[in-house]
Amino acid sequence: MTEVSKTEAIPFVAPARAEITPAIRAVAIVAAVGVVSAAIALSCGGYWLSNFTQAYCMTLAVLGCALLYGQLGLVSLCQWALVGAGGWVSLRVYHTIHPPFLVTILAGGVGASVIGMIWGLPALRMRGLYLALVTLMLAGAFQTLVTVTSFPVGGPGFLGQVGASGNDRMMMARPVFASSDTEYFLFVAGVTLLCIFLVEAHRRSKPGRAWALIRKNEQMAIAAGVRIVFYKAWAFALSGFLAGVAGALLAGLFGQLDASAFPPTSSIVIFIGTLLGGYEVWLGAFLGGILTRFVPALLIDLNVNTNVGFMIFGAALLFALRDSLGIGGQLAMLAERLYKQFRGQRAL
Amino acid sequence: MIKIDALTVRFGGIKPLDELAAEFVAPICGLIGPNGAGKTTLLNVLSGFVTPIKGTILLNETSLLGLSPRRRVGIGLRRTFQQELVVDELTAVENIQAIADHVSADRASARRQVGLALDFVGLGPRRNTLGRRLNLFERRMVEIGKTLIGQPRAILLDEPGAGLNEEETDRLRRLLVKIPSAFDSQLVLIDHDADLIASVCIETLVLDFGKRLAMGPTRAVLNDPVVRRAYLGRE
Repeated sequence: MTEVSKTEAIPFVAPARAEITPAIRAVAIVAAVGVVSAAIALSCGGYWLSNFTQAYCMTLAVLGCALLYGQLGLVSLCQWALVGAGGWVSLRVYHTIHPPFLVTILAGGVGASVIGMIWGLPALRMRGLYLALVTLMLAGAFQTLVTVTSFPVGGPGFLGQVGASGNDRMMMARPVFASSDTEYFLFVAGVTLLCIFLVEAHRRSKPGRAWALIRKNEQMAIAAGVRIVFYKAWAFALSGFLAGVAGALLAGLFGQLDASAFPPTSSIVIFIGTLLGGYEVWLGAFLGGILTRFVPALLIDLNVNTNVGFMIFGAALLFALRDSLGIGGQLAMLAERLYKQFRGQRAL
Repeated sequence: MIKIDALTVRFGGIKPLDELAAEFVAPICGLIGPNGAGKTTLLNVLSGFVTPIKGTILLNETSLLGLSPRRRVGIGLRRTFQQELVVDELTAVENIQAIADHVSADRASARRQVGLALDFVGLGPRRNTLGRRLNLFERRMVEIGKTLIGQPRAILLDEPGAGLNEEETDRLRRLLVKIPSAFDSQLVLIDHDADLIASVCIETLVLDFGKRLAMGPTRAVLNDPVVRRAYLGRE
């Protein structure tokens, strides 16, 4: 390229707007997750602490779902099955070679990431309703598989199945530094925070820009030199990784996982949480994950049939679908407006 | 230089391009014709999105047929689309960075090229503005800025002036004439604005029903009675 004369540029009169910098966004994420987590850790115990720990795991699953839908417009309805797959891998790795807990989490994440990438292959050709149906069928297939094979936990052998009595079942131990419920909750909150940063780092760098081009128009993305298959597979791998980490954390919470805990309907609930929370900002996944666990937990606490939760989510969706922002997006916009007003007042 | 010979495209029973032969030699070339003449199809063939059943295309002696669209980007072919395609959620600089990520040699040269492109199209002060907050002219400038990244050899612009007012079209005109010398690349421009074509393009190809109606110096072509009757609808 030859040197371009800047004096020839056509000037615009509009000034640059004060945008929120990545550093400010990072501080906001740490502050928001930190304050909420500290409040939960200080005020909750037993039943509610366990549910909020599960809610944070849900947040990771929603984060992966929001990544696919928000960045690429792909509807994946097998996210909860990937949570199960990640849990299965982490349990097998733990009971087979007894690695440190963090390695177990990574193993769950990587395992689900590989499975997610394979399950994402249909997405290379499909979009919209067809992809949603195929992934939902995969979620159904996963449940059938784990039911037929008796979801392996801590038994002997490669499949790790326990006998009918269940007496030979071994539990997965939590890490030494997070053995109590409160410590484990804070540990899960820390992992959630790291995963949010992982996704944010992707959204604001090369893969995020490539995904944005693909979502806008695949031909335009190709004309910009983007490798469509590679970046779609990357998104599925990252989404699967987040689900796998969630599965490993759930396995650590309960010490084991049950086959009946991974019905396909949970994947639909995760997608509902993605829409309710909002898929364009991290806060949406955080709130979406908490809501999808908090509502059923509240219904159980109130002795109400948990299926009422579907009615509540359905009603909430009617409001959420009025725009694509979701609750998290609207809150983020409000925060941005307040921040800019604050900056404006300080400048005056 | 882009050289096309015997280029034929068939969609079912229709031939949008039929035995088309042309040579784009001038730094800025125009491509005009009535709706359905095959202009965008030709751009799609050049960029690899449509495969011809017959013919050859050379870009600076390199045969394009057989190269994937991505490989064509790699050898310096850039294009915009009829529909304006700026990503709303990305800022102006990120929209342009998105192509630099894939065509620039390294991060440093990508950053330098993005800065140059932004300054060239006059979007420097608006670099951190989200796509959704840019007006139509600014969005067109982002689109053109994207084509200037990574040593472009040929830039294909599909109706860059669509929807612009007179003043904006004038600013676009002043920008386009500077591109070949500033970026050492050839510009092929499709537009329905005959005034824009006349004031910017040195040579122009006129298509009609997928065939070459005329090609030569733009003024002469636009004054050709055959072209005026077919394209402008008057003698």
